[in-house]
Amino acid sequence: MNMTISRRHLVKMGIAAGTVISIPSVLRAQTTPPEARTVRMVMSDIDTFDPIISTTYESGNHGLAIYDTLFALDSKLTPQPQMVGKWGVSDDKKKYTFELRDGLTWHDGTPVTAADCVASIRRWGQVPSGGRLIVERATDISAQDDKTFTISLKEPLGLLIETLASASTPLLFIMREKDATRPATEAVTSNIGSGPFKFNEALVKPGASYTYDRNERYIPRQEPSDGFAGGKVVNVDRVIRENISDQQTAFAALQSGEVDFLQSPSADLYPVIKSDPNLELQALNKAGDVYFMRMNCLQKPFDNVKARQAMLHLIDQEAVMRTAIAQEYISPVTSFFGNRTPYTNDENTGWYKKGGDPEKAKQLLNEAGYAGEKVVILQHTSWAAANVMEQFLAATLRKIGMNVDLVPADSATRTQLLTNGSWSIMMTNESDYDRSTPVSNPTLSANGEQGWYGWPKSDEYEALRAKWAVVGTLEERQALAREMQRIQWDIVGTVLLGSAVAPIARRKTLTGVIEMPALTAMWNMQKVPA
Amino acid sequence: MAAYILRRLVSTIAVMAMVGIFVFLLLRLAPGDPAAIIAGDKASPQVIAAIREQLGLNEPMPVQFVHWVLGILAGDFGTSLLSGRPVLELISLRLEPTISISILTIILSVTVGVSFGILAGWRAGGLVDRILTVFATLGFSVPVFVVGFFLLYIFSIRTHWLPVQGYKPIENGFGPWFVHLILPTLALGIPYIAFIARVTRASILEVLSEDYMRTAAAKGASSYAMLFHHALKNAGVPILTVIGISFAYLISGVVITETVFNIPGIGRLVVDALDSRDYPLIQGVLILVSGLYVLINLVVDLSYTLVDPRIRY
Repeated sequence: MNMTISRRHLVKMGIAAGTVISIPSVLRAQTTPPEARTVRMVMSDIDTFDPIISTTYESGNHGLAIYDTLFALDSKLTPQPQMVGKWGVSDDKKKYTFELRDGLTWHDGTPVTAADCVASIRRWGQVPSGGRLIVERATDISAQDDKTFTISLKEPLGLLIETLASASTPLLFIMREKDATRPATEAVTSNIGSGPFKFNEALVKPGASYTYDRNERYIPRQEPSDGFAGGKVVNVDRVIRENISDQQTAFAALQSGEVDFLQSPSADLYPVIKSDPNLELQALNKAGDVYFMRMNCLQKPFDNVKARQAMLHLIDQEAVMRTAIAQEYISPVTSFFGNRTPYTNDENTGWYKKGGDPEKAKQLLNEAGYAGEKVVILQHTSWAAANVMEQFLAATLRKIGMNVDLVPADSATRTQLLTNGSWSIMMTNESDYDRSTPVSNPTLSANGEQGWYGWPKSDEYEALRAKWAVVGTLEERQALAREMQRIQWDIVGTVLLGSAVAPIARRKTLTGVIEMPALTAMWNMQKVPA
Repeated sequence: MAAYILRRLVSTIAVMAMVGIFVFLLLRLAPGDPAAIIAGDKASPQVIAAIREQLGLNEPMPVQFVHWVLGILAGDFGTSLLSGRPVLELISLRLEPTISISILTIILSVTVGVSFGILAGWRAGGLVDRILTVFATLGFSVPVFVVGFFLLYIFSIRTHWLPVQGYKPIENGFGPWFVHLILPTLALGIPYIAFIARVTRASILEVLSEDYMRTAAAKGASSYAMLFHHALKNAGVPILTVIGISFAYLISGVVITETVFNIPGIGRLVVDALDSRDYPLIQGVLILVSGLYVLINLVVDLSYTLVDPRIRY
């Protein structure tokens, strides 16, 4: 059964081998680099495109691209007019009049009207946000003509302009009246805004990529770009948001130039990024994110304030943060209002001790009468850094004799567990900036079962929070912040775990990325030749 | 044969109905709330409850099931809870990449796997057989994602010969489409090449020891005739079975491959839908995939008659 190889076979094999060897050069010619005026950004997927119904940053980023806002925060977090051209307030501070600037049009070409703005404010007022505060305090919100609308208030609301400009999700994005008249529990189905980008519906690949084209009709303000304020000038033709779920693949795509921007590179990639001459790490949110845990105040053992205080003394912030984030990006945080907000202060922060104070924690736990009740810590399965921190937290609690059970849960399961109260400790984070908005941010409330997960309750704190919106000056709010913080570190609804800056990674050919907290703006970016 | 095909098609509907009931119940009994995903982390329980109501998730389970079944019978697989788009539209957007990888993988696996198997069986115990056995063992043992990252490192990061990730529809041209599928197909295909090669080798070895093969050799049949006219034809049924099974199992490998190479196919669609508890979408994908599996098995069963005339339906 011998098989022979003829010369003809050899020739054929030679041709085949030559073809195979030549394939790479053919292929190289076919893998062209991304177009010079297209920016490709690796960002998380968008679960819902309605940035009012959703509180996620992903929906907020989508909103920032396609919608415009009445006011916007500049890089110093000061409100500046954006869609508004002129505005004024009556002498008794109860009636605000706003006039839209010229040239505002929807992506379908129709003009933006005051009626659109009124409907958008009313819809925004249906969800927990600054909008609810405004709608509750208003006697009338109405359009006066096509370009002018007014907000009349029962009492002066010193925080009104700051609230309209807030960058805390959900932001006040102005939608068409016909979209904004939908109830805020029903997502808008169109993606037509008046912002600097148009959403390209034809190129939507749900879960994979979303394409935003430059809105040629958009007329930017004349002022230079400054934070989310100023002229929103779009220097590229197209921005493609890609959802690459695998970190290694996303990073490889950045290295090879297939994408320009990586929103959240994992910390273990930082050294490799730094060593690559084509890449750069950049902190867009220089104040960073505050990591914190909430305890379930409705269940044992954390229904006892002493047990909660024990956690405050127990936590070694540096140790927790270092489990997942490099030393150079972390810092301790002791103020309830974050590290770099106008309200950061040192009131009642005597609990902080570098390395934590386990002995004090044990003493407080004994005083609380802790009798070995099970402490359920919810463990993220789809957020690697939090997963590690939660394991470390569990070990820390066990060291002082607590009976800890880690319960892994994906996002959908986790929120359900949070809602039905089957937990003792949950961990999350938010931007440092969000800690400066106690009126609109539910994580800064202490209104018991009406409030956010953990449900701490303090009527005194809530009275101060209500006052926050009314007082007129920054100094008055700073004084309130000290009082509120004093109460918070007594009732301990929240335990801070530390602060961390999470840089983005980008190719050096991509410049002009706006540095602001929490959300990522797509305008102002430029691609320069390599 | 027509009666057989009809019976199989009827049984396909029964299988899909069982899959439907199973998936529907499993999803509703599993923890997780799509309304919470829509609303986000900071939403209040009141808002989440209102969204649940809006989505119809508070209706009794039997009512939801009847709505779903009636919809399917009318050709409507429902609407994604998150994107608000029809399920069939979402699936159709993702079909092309998955079908492309699957077909290329099957072509690669069958051609290379069967060739390797024949060669190893023909030269059993020899150097070629040993090399192919090592390859087959490695192909089985190394996970798809490891192979994927290895290929990425060599062919994309080090040499820049091939793109790292993504998919180009065939309407953009054959070249870009093919180039983006080379690495995913290789990564996904290697275990199947190994699997098919092993089965082919075993089948060929078994057939080669048959009396009629010795008779053919004694009659002076050429190596080519013996191998391809006698041995391969008779070894065909188990090989075809394995190919059918491979195609059916491909979807699990596709999920990983699509993730590693960032290909927007059905695999990633179903994983994302599971993450967000997008019930109508998960149900739609699984119903269609189960139907596809049953049909593939039917095609494989029917193809037996082509290689073995003794088989009749």
